[in-house]
Amino acid sequence: MPTLELSNPAALPADWRDFLALTKPRVMSLVVFSGLCGLLVAPVQLPIVLSFTAILCIALGAGACGALNQWYEIDVDAKMRRTAKRPLPAGRMDRQSALHFGVGLGAFSVLLMGLATNWLAALFLAVSILFYVLVYTVWLKPRTAQNIVIGGAAGAFPPLIGWVAATGQIATLPLLLFAIIFLWTPPHFWALSLFVRSDYAAAGIPMMPVVAGFESTRRQIFLYSLPMAAAAVAPWLLGLTGAIYGISAAILSFVFLVLAGRVATNRATEPSEMDAEKHLFAYSVFYLFALFAVLVADRFLPW
Amino acid sequence: MVKAEDEIIRKRQRDRARIMALLLGGFVILLFFITIAKTGMNW
Repeated sequence: MPTLELSNPAALPADWRDFLALTKPRVMSLVVFSGLCGLLVAPVQLPIVLSFTAILCIALGAGACGALNQWYEIDVDAKMRRTAKRPLPAGRMDRQSALHFGVGLGAFSVLLMGLATNWLAALFLAVSILFYVLVYTVWLKPRTAQNIVIGGAAGAFPPLIGWVAATGQIATLPLLLFAIIFLWTPPHFWALSLFVRSDYAAAGIPMMPVVAGFESTRRQIFLYSLPMAAAAVAPWLLGLTGAIYGISAAILSFVFLVLAGRVATNRATEPSEMDAEKHLFAYSVFYLFALFAVLVADRFLPW
Repeated sequence: MVKAEDEIIRKRQRDRARIMALLLGGFVILLFFITIAKTGMNW
């Protein structure tokens, strides 16, 4: 890559790597994984190429959400250390390119999903993209501390979409998977927002720690973890999965509750003293991966 | 300086054209296999 100082970087055509960065590939990995699990645990198995296409569409839809989110939040991203180096605030891409890319990617993913699997899955994919962009990014995020609670629904759609892509209909298990991610989102994001609180405050985003303070956020992290744990073991209690999933979900959720309890009793206000919050955030990512992995294992293992 | 900028612009255009060609080629192949799967052909 040339390192020449350019007279006007914004006038350059954006590098393809910047378009890739616009899709937030790291966030996409969890979305793709949960979508794949929803598809794999469905009672109907699609041909491999159609399964691949369904997951590709979920990934492209998530990429479209990332691109449109960054297109809309360019001013906010420029104010936060964590996001200031993204292609738009850093001036490596013009805003219109991001908008065209996001809209094009979203429309393409929905059409391809409809053509390859079924139009109910395409409808859910379209709703999840529009919900993330319009309801979460544009409406809730800059206005209310409940942004993550309601906006979390957008990230909860992938396993439901995966299931519907395979079966063409909705059932109890994918709705429970939706509920697990929906209830997991607040503790996950609030744990993060506690130790990057100053970033959100500087950008004027009303995240829970900024609006309600540390103590209230920590208490709510623990309170949301309780129904999340209940939703996690519910598939087993309702007889929708086997003991492998049930016992694993109970152990994983118990550890989650212990870590959330440590956060609830922590009184630190400096990020350097927030080990409990950092541990919960890291564990919450592992928790969701592990929970969905054992769900798939439970479906395919013979005992 | 202008010549160097011109070279960077050309390189980016070439890179983007290559990526676009790869993606379009991949899409055509994917559509082919989707069609095969949807029509239920086995081979």
